[in-house]
Amino acid sequence: MSGRCETFDHTADVGLSAHADSPEELLEVLAECMCDQVCPRKNVAPDSEREISVEAPDFEALTVDFLDAVLGAIQIDRFAVASVKVTGVTQTSASAELLGTDLDPRRHEILTEIKAVTYHELEALERGGQWTARVILDL
Amino acid sequence: MADRFEGKIEQVDANRWRIPKGSQPGMRVDGLIFSSAELIGDVISGGGPKQVANVAALPGIVGASMAMPDIHWGYGFPIGGVAATDVDDGGVVSPGGVGYDINCGVRMMRSNLDAGDVRPHISKLTEHLFADIPAGVGVSGPFTFSSKEMRKILARGVEHLISCGLADASDAEATESSGCLEGADADAVSPQAQKRGADQCGTLGAGNHFVEIQYVDEVYDARAAAAMGMKLGQVTVMIHSGSRGLGHQVCGDYLKSLRSAPGKYGIELPDRQLVCAPVKSSEGQQYLAAMRAAANFAWCNRQLLAVQVRKSMSQFFGARDTDARIAQVYDVAHNIAKIETHTVTGRRRRLCVHRKGATRAFGPGHRELPACLRPLGQPVLIPGDMGTASYVLLGTQTAMDRTFGSACHGAGRVMSRKQAIRHAQGRRIDVELARAGITARARGRTGLAEEQPDAYKDIDAVVECVCSAGLASKVLRLIPMGVIKG
Repeated sequence: MSGRCETFDHTADVGLSAHADSPEELLEVLAECMCDQVCPRKNVAPDSEREISVEAPDFEALTVDFLDAVLGAIQIDRFAVASVKVTGVTQTSASAELLGTDLDPRRHEILTEIKAVTYHELEALERGGQWTARVILDL
Repeated sequence: MADRFEGKIEQVDANRWRIPKGSQPGMRVDGLIFSSAELIGDVISGGGPKQVANVAALPGIVGASMAMPDIHWGYGFPIGGVAATDVDDGGVVSPGGVGYDINCGVRMMRSNLDAGDVRPHISKLTEHLFADIPAGVGVSGPFTFSSKEMRKILARGVEHLISCGLADASDAEATESSGCLEGADADAVSPQAQKRGADQCGTLGAGNHFVEIQYVDEVYDARAAAAMGMKLGQVTVMIHSGSRGLGHQVCGDYLKSLRSAPGKYGIELPDRQLVCAPVKSSEGQQYLAAMRAAANFAWCNRQLLAVQVRKSMSQFFGARDTDARIAQVYDVAHNIAKIETHTVTGRRRRLCVHRKGATRAFGPGHRELPACLRPLGQPVLIPGDMGTASYVLLGTQTAMDRTFGSACHGAGRVMSRKQAIRHAQGRRIDVELARAGITARARGRTGLAEEQPDAYKDIDAVVECVCSAGLASKVLRLIPMGVIKG
């Protein structure tokens, strides 16, 4: 995978900045980087699988909704995520398989709680064959 | 980084700064920031003024798009933002004007103990509370509610806890809106949101939330202090928390479901995070019903935290042959939207008042205040950071006239969380606080660093500005002795 995602500083919160060769890879690196902020993936065994799918009016909103669905798996369904595999993506829909295991506070370190994936200064687009995104997470 | 405002900001007087209508396209009213000359530098660099100007574009906004001196950058609205829209003249409600932590707020309780009784035990007492109060990320509480009970909490708030024996009438009377907003609808709260909050009612959470043991360090208004049952040296407990994951999910759900509303109602917005719908529309009514339910959940959360604090302190002091009695002084919301009637340009109007990081500050005589406090005005509880003072203020008629009965909510951040962590490198914040006589315990690895006093504005300067502007008057100053955080 050539895509990469890093965090950046933002007033009171944290941002994700990602680059990738495809929209699939873009959503994967964003989602995995976000998971690492909440519950580092290195400690999570890929024991079971979850599927998510989202639809939105445009690719930026789709990016928010996709990350929100991954976040829901962790924070609502208590599913610790080891990896994210996007199985299909268009400008307005995305589906993915999440590999991971039931979240166990004794085995999995929970670093922070993310209140929400926000629309502030949101950017998710293709430019010259490269897919880039900037997303701010409300902590 | 936060947007820097390039438009015009002009000083009105010692405590007010105006962003004239027209400084930015789409503004329907002026922006008005309450700030002193001392604070305005941080205000401008903090990105808030641009957001004050953005909020001025909301349909139906009346008066001005306002911000308190603790203003700093937020999502959509700035933190510290106050905006009122005319319900009967196309006014809108915006989830961004309430924020993700719906009814984040502050509860203050008084004890029968003096600082001298508590100081020798503060380290052990803080440990005891830290063991008893569920705090931190992913931590559930001792209270579990069936889905039927959860629906009652959402619909009836503290009133439901009274029927369960987990609150009494005096708790409700000393809570803004008696701990229950009319018009809440559990059906407007998604199953995901209810699930997210299912085991979180009665938990502190993380971030800037806390339980603090404090003492009264200064009394500015003896009559008001006496009416609140307070005196110099008295030990108090302050709880700062909100609607936990349930509220976050409600806000996120409605930011999503309202996406198409601006197009449907012909509303142009400068920021997607300001998505909104007319208050009278089905979309607006649906959001308000869900927001009210989340607000009721938050009041129950603080009530159940109070129940646990009372029990924990009673056990701690009981083992030392001391009878610790803890009674509620007041509880305020500082992230909320409410339908209120105010006089605007001589006419009584029904307004949707958004207070995001702002506290209701109703003046004397308001019928919504409890009888014992009505002649004085509403207590306005201002939590400081864990190393400095907190304040109890009273709302004023000036606040009713100028800010729809609103004042500030805290100190306001000046450092991002990461900046604060970098600033704390090589330092032991807990040791520094201990040197100042404050015992602090946090569950997370970076909690104390993120919330260190240097990360916030000077609370004394913020309160001074609010009081100089006439929006509130000082009653008490409180100094922390023991702090627990998530």
